[in-house]
Amino acid sequence: MAAVPVTCVRLTISMNTNQIVGKSSLMKIVPMGRVKSGFPCLRTSHFRISCAAKPETVNKVCEIVKTQLALSADTVVTHDSKFSTLGADSLDTVEIVMTLEEEFGISVEEENSQNITTVQEAADLIESLVEKKNTNA
Amino acid sequence: MFCTSALSPLQLPSRMETHLWYVLPNEVKSQSLLSQYVDLLSPLEKDHVFSMRGEELQKSALLARALVRTTIARYQIHSRVSPRSLVFRKNAHGKPEVIWEQSDDWHPPPLHFNLSHTSSLIACGVTVGSPIGIDVEEKQRTMKSNILSFAKRYFSCEEVEVLSAISDPEVQRHEFIKLWTLKEAYVKALGTGFSGAPFNTFTIRFGVANPNPEDSAIVIVPLEKPTNLTTNWQFAQVQLAGSHYAAICRQNDGLPGGASMKVIVRKTIPLVEEHCVPSIVPVDD
Repeated sequence: MAAVPVTCVRLTISMNTNQIVGKSSLMKIVPMGRVKSGFPCLRTSHFRISCAAKPETVNKVCEIVKTQLALSADTVVTHDSKFSTLGADSLDTVEIVMTLEEEFGISVEEENSQNITTVQEAADLIESLVEKKNTNA
Repeated sequence: MFCTSALSPLQLPSRMETHLWYVLPNEVKSQSLLSQYVDLLSPLEKDHVFSMRGEELQKSALLARALVRTTIARYQIHSRVSPRSLVFRKNAHGKPEVIWEQSDDWHPPPLHFNLSHTSSLIACGVTVGSPIGIDVEEKQRTMKSNILSFAKRYFSCEEVEVLSAISDPEVQRHEFIKLWTLKEAYVKALGTGFSGAPFNTFTIRFGVANPNPEDSAIVIVPLEKPTNLTTNWQFAQVQLAGSHYAAICRQNDGLPGGASMKVIVRKTIPLVEEHCVPSIVPVDD
């Protein structure tokens, strides 16, 4: 895995002079996971860029959630919607996970099941599992 | 306008008893009463309640907090305790518990509670001296998935066999829901989260039917060796309001083998009223 040198620009507001001062430093970042289409996943301690799941995946998850919870067509479900605030109880969440497994051909371990609380988390996990499956294929 | 007069005190459950409280959101209509409930909540709880999507879900979340706060405060634990003053936190695995004010002259009793709710019923179980887990589900709840597919994915082989042997789909659905509530109650009693006791690592086994069905014990059978799962737990199943199955799990403190759990069920509207209901063991309907 190639290490990618990155210039990390950190903006700090100096309290005394009320100026925005930019500092830059060179950091070596090792991309996590396979690099797809030349765009690496970067996680640094200063700021986070997560690889966002594809919109199609997010939309599919939203669809499945809306069906499971029998939400009306005009209920807005987005990537940051929490299952519990939409009215999902534990049985709903497990059904959602199972539907996602069937839809995407993946298998979600119990430990990960518990961490799926939002549409985004579900979509991210799906993509990482699909990726893993494709790598191993 | 209701006034929040001193709540009538309650006697703590004995170590042999489990108290089960429930409220039906449909029966709570007064806006001023709902406002009183909001006043009992911590800022975090208020945020949580109002983050729920839609009035119905908000009301349900509000009632859950009102139920647990008013109920615990009434157990005359400490004269300084009021529903509003109770402080809650979650344990390392997310299970809610009360943080009691510690002082030199008072040690809190080992009171445990657990909440469960559906959109149409909220329940709170209370014990002394034993962790407790409860789960409630609507009897009429339908599954989006195929029941046996779901059971094969998440339950143990033995449980799948038991469900598969039921030919009537309605009966099968009812038994599935009851089994889910039992497994969920156990995991909640353990307090280690879903991943601490994955559903397919243990079987809930029903004792051999004997002349007195209430005495046929439900046991946990861990499937992995070695296992972290403890088995000194006892269960009760009750029907609530004719519409819900409830499962209760608490520790089995070396009671004479098969002694059934004594459950006192009370239906309530927090701050307003309550009455005891006879505890009903589900019959095949």
